[in-house]
Amino acid sequence: MSARSKAPASARNGLTIAVFAAVVLSMPFWLPLIGGYEALATKIVIWAIFAVGFDILLGFTGYLSFGHAAFFGTSAYTTGLMLKHVSADVLPAMGASILVTVFLAFLLGVITLRRAGIYFAILTLAFAQMFHVAALSIFQGWTGGDNGLTMSTRPELLGIPMTGLNVFYFAAAIAIVGFYIALRIRNSPFGLMLRSIKSNAMRLEYTGVYVRAYKQIGFMISAVYAGVAGSLMVIYEPYVATKFLHWSTSGEIVIMSVIGGVGTLIGPMLGATFMLYFQNVVQAFIGEQWKLVLGIIFMLVVIFMPGGFMEGLRRLRGAVTPGGASGAGADSTASARQPAE
Amino acid sequence: MTDHTGNNGWSRRRLLKASAAGTAGLGALALNGKAPFHFVRNAWAEEAIGNFPVKGKSVVFGFNVPQTGAYADEGADELRAYKLAVKHLNEGGGMLETLKPSSLSGQGVLGKKVDYVEGDTQTDPDAARTSARRMVERDGVIMYGGGSSSAVAIAQQYLAQEMGIVFMCGLTHSNDTTGKDKRRYGFRHFFNAYMSGKALGPILANEYGKDRRAFHLTADYTWGHTQYQSIKDFTEQQGWSTVDNIMTPLGTTDYSQFLTAVLNSDADVLVLNHYGKDMNNSLTQAVQFGMRDMQKNGKDMQVVVPLYSRLMAQGAGASNIDGVYGTTNWNWVLQDAGSQAFVKSFEAEYGFPPSQAAQTCYAQTLLYANACEVAGTFYPPEVIKALEGFEFEGMGPGKALYRAEDHQCFKDILVVQGKGPDKKSGEYDLLDIVSHVKRDDIIYPVDTFAGELGPYKPA
Repeated sequence: MSARSKAPASARNGLTIAVFAAVVLSMPFWLPLIGGYEALATKIVIWAIFAVGFDILLGFTGYLSFGHAAFFGTSAYTTGLMLKHVSADVLPAMGASILVTVFLAFLLGVITLRRAGIYFAILTLAFAQMFHVAALSIFQGWTGGDNGLTMSTRPELLGIPMTGLNVFYFAAAIAIVGFYIALRIRNSPFGLMLRSIKSNAMRLEYTGVYVRAYKQIGFMISAVYAGVAGSLMVIYEPYVATKFLHWSTSGEIVIMSVIGGVGTLIGPMLGATFMLYFQNVVQAFIGEQWKLVLGIIFMLVVIFMPGGFMEGLRRLRGAVTPGGASGAGADSTASARQPAE
Repeated sequence: MTDHTGNNGWSRRRLLKASAAGTAGLGALALNGKAPFHFVRNAWAEEAIGNFPVKGKSVVFGFNVPQTGAYADEGADELRAYKLAVKHLNEGGGMLETLKPSSLSGQGVLGKKVDYVEGDTQTDPDAARTSARRMVERDGVIMYGGGSSSAVAIAQQYLAQEMGIVFMCGLTHSNDTTGKDKRRYGFRHFFNAYMSGKALGPILANEYGKDRRAFHLTADYTWGHTQYQSIKDFTEQQGWSTVDNIMTPLGTTDYSQFLTAVLNSDADVLVLNHYGKDMNNSLTQAVQFGMRDMQKNGKDMQVVVPLYSRLMAQGAGASNIDGVYGTTNWNWVLQDAGSQAFVKSFEAEYGFPPSQAAQTCYAQTLLYANACEVAGTFYPPEVIKALEGFEFEGMGPGKALYRAEDHQCFKDILVVQGKGPDKKSGEYDLLDIVSHVKRDDIIYPVDTFAGELGPYKPA
């Protein structure tokens, strides 16, 4: 694959980024046309950042973390506490959140990355749940317990109030940069290492590569994305819910990645968009039974399109242009099916 | 119903946009000449706050209730009440005929037809805020309301203050809602844990003796915490002692480990600070553990559920709630004119009587609409001022007062006892009113709880 796509890679990256930026930045204009609204656009962009970072770990390295809520939530609480007690400016808050996330990811990585597969998933889940319980019990004085962290602060960026579209464009800019970095990682030797870990870590180890270090760095990068998303969540809305630390948040990002298409970077973001759109817009049409309908959609996607929406798109493209895209389509479908396991 | 929400929402949005652009243009044209037309009606300077000024022929209310989660039963009943309130505001009927003083016409509010949108809080503060923002930003609601769960109410109350949209709380019983976390844009008609404790304490001591030892199981969030505190304080004033308290997560289904701890202690009263499905589960399991037929310290073991509702009694079953004490905001068997008018129209619409959650949500919607009529505008600071200190009757027994300093409504509440299967006279006749506690007996000074209401205009 790399040989075939090497020559136009940078040009294609540029195009991808340009299209991505155009779609994201114009979101406040097209989302209301399909029943969305401004705040939803911001939330979608924030979750898209989370999803891209998650894909670096799950899609590239093949490690299924069920504990990314730990980074998302801890970072959100850090931002919340900074905004409430230190300064209403978002930059120190975000800086502190990223530092805390990096430190936490380093620690958790050292402990959990010793194991792979299901054991890794369970370990991360257990640690994340410990954080959730701790926030509800011993740290209740700081976190506000089940009430969440409420505050009357209005976050600002160097004097600009972070409300409405300001937050959106701030988050969108970060999402575009984040997506660009993820693309660069994918095409870099480091990204190649991550993908080698996924295909066969043991063989890589035998060739003399210090696999643990690569895994650790991949894990930490992914955690920082989650941390940035968690921090933005509080800037977008100065309130921290304990749900941010709950396993269901980790579960949600896994589901978004799977229905979008693991390992494709764009796929998980599509998944995030779909989930949030469904939860907030379609829900109002369906009424009480919306969770049931959502469950059925998941099942259908996983059974008939294990590669998620991205596989669906490729099949569609293959059907429309049978000559040109079918070869490439089949190729990437195979590579996308693998991570779904 | 669903069509209603969706289609109207979209076209209204477009309409709003178009008309917003239109008025802006008009305003610009008029700048050098006459005063803009839309400022003439009300004399005071009214800048845009939240979704004010209201454009178009209808005004939209948002109803954000738990359709899923531990309090879903309450949420479903709240929504029924909201729909009925909208119907009455537009067509007359119900408590519109009993509320005094009333400025409501039964032909919409301030000449505009009342429309509504609904949302699901999922009994979760984060989901509730997201849903509320959808209502505010997309659907253009001028006010929103709903419950249950105090954590959800408080989270939405902060959002209300931020966005400049009045929030009329539904079922929320925590002291914090109008205490520590009170907000200028939030109003609560429902009673709170402090009042429950004050009403219930003397009756429990009278019934079960003054030397009881209580064990609490408490839902682990703001409501549970404050209710535990209030019940503990008021029963200890009567001479009871508190053995222990265990915080249980919201939405727990298996209480056996907590109940075992109760059995192993020397407590002779179990206090369940639980609500909704949590209470159904914990009470049913306590009964299965034999706690209601047990002797401890030479006395009959007793179970108390400080916050009671008819829906919960129904869920737990008549044989389980037989004789169990608790308090409630309102019950459908009340004979005053307001309650009767509401119960009759609710039964005619849905075929069964309303719950206390339904009554509070219905009353809140009418009270908001009435305040708009009194103020003569939807301008939030004026509506808030009209609600603050508003004294009224005809929405339940006795006179009620919306206290200006903390936005808590004070009115009569009920101490009730569960009716056993042999005593009840129908499917919905589950609570026996033991005492009708007067407003003056449960009122408390404003400084009982700390907290600041905040400004009339969002920052």
